[in-house]
Amino acid sequence: MTASTTGASPVAASPPPRRRGLVRRLATGTPRVIGLLMVVLVIASLAWGVAGVWIAAGHASAASGVVGTNAPLSFEARQMYQSLSDADVTATSAFLAGPDEPLAARTRYQDDIAQAGTDLSDLRAAASSGPAPGASLSAVATGLPVYTGYVAQAQSNDTLGYPLTGGSFMQVASEQMHLVLLPAARNVYTQVNRTLAARSAQASGLPWIAVAVACSVVLGIALLRVQRWLSRRTRRTVNYGLLGATLALLVATVWLLAAFLGVRGDLTRAEAHDLAPAESLAQASIAVQQARSDEVLNLISRSGATSFRGDFNVARKQAGPGAGSLLTSAADAARGTGAATPIAAAGRDATAWYAVSSRAFSLDLQASYAAETKLVIGSGAGSSAARFDQLEKDLSAAIGSGQAAFTAGTHGGSGALTGAAVAFGAAALLMVIGCTWGLSQRLAEYR
Amino acid sequence: MVLASTVTVLGLVAGCAAPGPATGLRAGRLAAARQSPVTLTETGSTLLYPLLKLWASAYHQQHPQVAVSTAGTGSGAGIAAASAGQADLGASDAYLSSGDLVGNPSLLNIPLAISAEQVDYNVPGLSAGIHLKLTGTVLAGIYQGTITTWNAGPIARLNPGVHLPSTRIVPLHRAESSGDTFLFSSYLATGNAAWNTRIGYGTTVNWPAVAGARAETGNSGMVSGCRATRGCVAYIGISYLSQALADGLGEAQLANAAGHFELPTAGTLAAAAASFVSVLPANETISMVNGPAAAGYPIVNYEYAVVSTRQRNAARGDALRAFLHWAVTSGNAGQYLNQVRFQPLPGAARALAVTQIGKIR
Repeated sequence: MTASTTGASPVAASPPPRRRGLVRRLATGTPRVIGLLMVVLVIASLAWGVAGVWIAAGHASAASGVVGTNAPLSFEARQMYQSLSDADVTATSAFLAGPDEPLAARTRYQDDIAQAGTDLSDLRAAASSGPAPGASLSAVATGLPVYTGYVAQAQSNDTLGYPLTGGSFMQVASEQMHLVLLPAARNVYTQVNRTLAARSAQASGLPWIAVAVACSVVLGIALLRVQRWLSRRTRRTVNYGLLGATLALLVATVWLLAAFLGVRGDLTRAEAHDLAPAESLAQASIAVQQARSDEVLNLISRSGATSFRGDFNVARKQAGPGAGSLLTSAADAARGTGAATPIAAAGRDATAWYAVSSRAFSLDLQASYAAETKLVIGSGAGSSAARFDQLEKDLSAAIGSGQAAFTAGTHGGSGALTGAAVAFGAAALLMVIGCTWGLSQRLAEYR
Repeated sequence: MVLASTVTVLGLVAGCAAPGPATGLRAGRLAAARQSPVTLTETGSTLLYPLLKLWASAYHQQHPQVAVSTAGTGSGAGIAAASAGQADLGASDAYLSSGDLVGNPSLLNIPLAISAEQVDYNVPGLSAGIHLKLTGTVLAGIYQGTITTWNAGPIARLNPGVHLPSTRIVPLHRAESSGDTFLFSSYLATGNAAWNTRIGYGTTVNWPAVAGARAETGNSGMVSGCRATRGCVAYIGISYLSQALADGLGEAQLANAAGHFELPTAGTLAAAAASFVSVLPANETISMVNGPAAAGYPIVNYEYAVVSTRQRNAARGDALRAFLHWAVTSGNAGQYLNQVRFQPLPGAARALAVTQIGKIR
C-alpha cells in the first residue's frame, strides 16, 4: 500500500522480501553473480541460436520454395491450361478440315494431351503436399479422359463416314473442355499463383527478421554490459571468451541481414521485372486462347449468333495491346529486359491476328461458311490459324524469357539464407563456449 | 407466319400428381405449386409446334392449374428466347451449338420425341402413288442451280420408268433461322462434298442464287408455297406430312448412307434412331442425319426442348419439370405422336432426358 501511494520510496523500489532473499542467496558475492551470469548467458545464447536458425531456415525454405517449387508449379499450371485449350482448338480445327486432316494437327493434339497429362501429374504430386488445389485438379483428372473419349468418338464416326455424328461428338467434346476442364485448369492456375505470391511474401517479409535482429541487439547489449561489469569488478580489461561470443553474434546477425536483404532485393526486383510481366503474359496467353476458341466455336456453331464476336472482343481487349491491357502492362514492366523484344512482337502479331479474325466474323454474318472455314483454320500464311500460332510463339518466348530471368535472378537467395541459418547455429555454439570459457576463468580466480 | 396458341383457361386446383421428378419435392412446396396457376411459355420450332399444341391442350386438361402458351416461330427464335429468359421453353429441331452452351452453361437440350424432315414436291403429271427417289447429291445440285428441270438426267437416272416432265424446278427454302434448314442442309452436306465445302450447314445458310428460288416462313409457309408453285421442291417437317399430302404434294424417298431409298415411316425413323442409342452422350447432343442404319430414313432428329436449369422461382421450376417429364413419358404415347408422325424416345434417351429434367430448379 505504501509503495503504491508514495511511488518513489526506496522501500517500494526494493524487491519483495521473499524474492529479495532468493536473489541474495543466488547472487551473494561476485563468484556467485558470475556463475549466475554464465548460466543466463549460455541459456540466452542457445535460445538466440535456436530462434535465429528457425527464422533463417524459414526464410531460406520460403525462398527456395518460391524458386524451386511454387514458380515452376505456376508455370506448369499455365502450361496445362494452354495445352488443354490448344488441344481443343487443334482437334476442332483438324476435324473441320475434313478427311484431309493434316498429320501435324493430330500429332499436335496428342502432344498437347500428353503435356497436359504430365503437368497434371506434377501438380497432383505437389497437391498432396499442399501448394496445388486438389478439387480442381481432380476435376481435370476426371474430365480429361471424358474429353479425349468424345474426341475419339468424333474421329471414329468421321472415319466411318458419319461426319455429322462425328461433328456433334466434337461439339460435345468442346463443351466438356469449355465447361469443365478449362474452368478447373484456370482455377488451378489462380490458386497456384496465389500460393506463389504468399510464399514470396513469406520469403521477403520483415517481421521475423526484425525479431531476430532485436534478439541480437538485446543479447549483444547484455554481453557488453557483462563485459563492462566484469572489467570493473576484476580489473581485467578484456574477457576474450565474452568478446568472442559478441563477435560471433555480430557476424551471424550481419550475415543474416545481408542474406535477407539480398534475397528480398532479388525477389522484389525479379518479381517486378521478370515475374510480373510473365504473369501478365500468361494471362494474355489465356485470353487469346479464349479468343481463338471463340473464333473456332463460332465456326462450328453456324447459328448466326453474334455472342462469339462479343466474347472475342472482350478477350481481345483484355489481352491487348492497348491502354490497360495485359500486353501493354507486360511491356511496361519488362522494359529493358530480354522479354521486351518478344512482347513487342506479340503486340504486333496480336493486332494482325485480330484483323484476320474480324474478317472471319464478318464472313460468318454473311453465312459464307466456306470462306470463313478457310480463313479460320486454313494453313496459309494469312490465315487466322497461322497468325494465332505466331502470336502464341511470341508469347511463349516472352514468358520463357521472363521465367528464365526470374529463376536466374533468385536462384542464389535461398543458399545465402541457408548459410545464415548455419552461421546462427555455429555462432550460438561459439557463444556458449565463449561465455562458459570466459566466465569460468574469472570464477577460477576466486578459488 | 408465326403460329401461336395459348391455353388460357386456368382452372382451380385439381388433384394432379406431377410425375417423376416432383416426387422428391417437399410436400409444402409441392402443395403450393399445385395451388398456384402457372402459365409456361413456349416458342420455337414450327415442326414441333403441332405436337406442342396437342400436348398443351392435353396437359391442361389433366393439370388445370398449368397452362402452356405455344408459338411456332422457328428453332433459332426458340433457342434465342430460351437463352434470353424470354420463354420458359424453346423448341428446336437442332441441338444447341457449343456457342449457345458455352455462352449460357445453364441451358439444357432435352429430347422430347423423334422427328424427321421430308422432301416434298409439286410435279405435275406424276402418277398417283409414285414417290420420286432423290439423293443428297441431286438435291444439292437442285439447290445450287446445276439441276434445273425435273426430267434432268441425274433425277431421271434415279427414277427409271417414271415419266418426268420438263417443268423447271423451283427450290423453296426457309426465310428464317430454322432447325429444318439445319437438318436439310446437313443432309446435303453429307451427300455432296461441294455443298459441304462451299455452303455447309446451319440454321441459316447462304443459299446459292437460283433462278425462281423462294424463301418461305415456317413449315406451313413451305407447304402453302409449294402447293402454289408448279415444279417446286421443299423440305418440310414431318408433322406437316398430312397437310402436304392433302394439298397434293408428292413425298420423296431419300437415299440413306447405305444407298437405300426410304420414306419417313414409323419403322424407318425408329431404325435410324436405334443405331445411335448406345453412343448417346449425357447431354443428348447428337446428329442422326445419314446414320448407319441400312433401313433407316436419312434425315432423322431429336426434337429438343431448350430450357434453363435456373428458373425464375421454384413454382415455375416445378411446373416446367413436371410438364417436361409428362411430355417424355405420357406425352410420348401414340395418341399424340401418331397425329404428327413422330416416334417415341428410345428408353435410354428417355432415361437421360429424365436425368436432365431433374436438373431444372
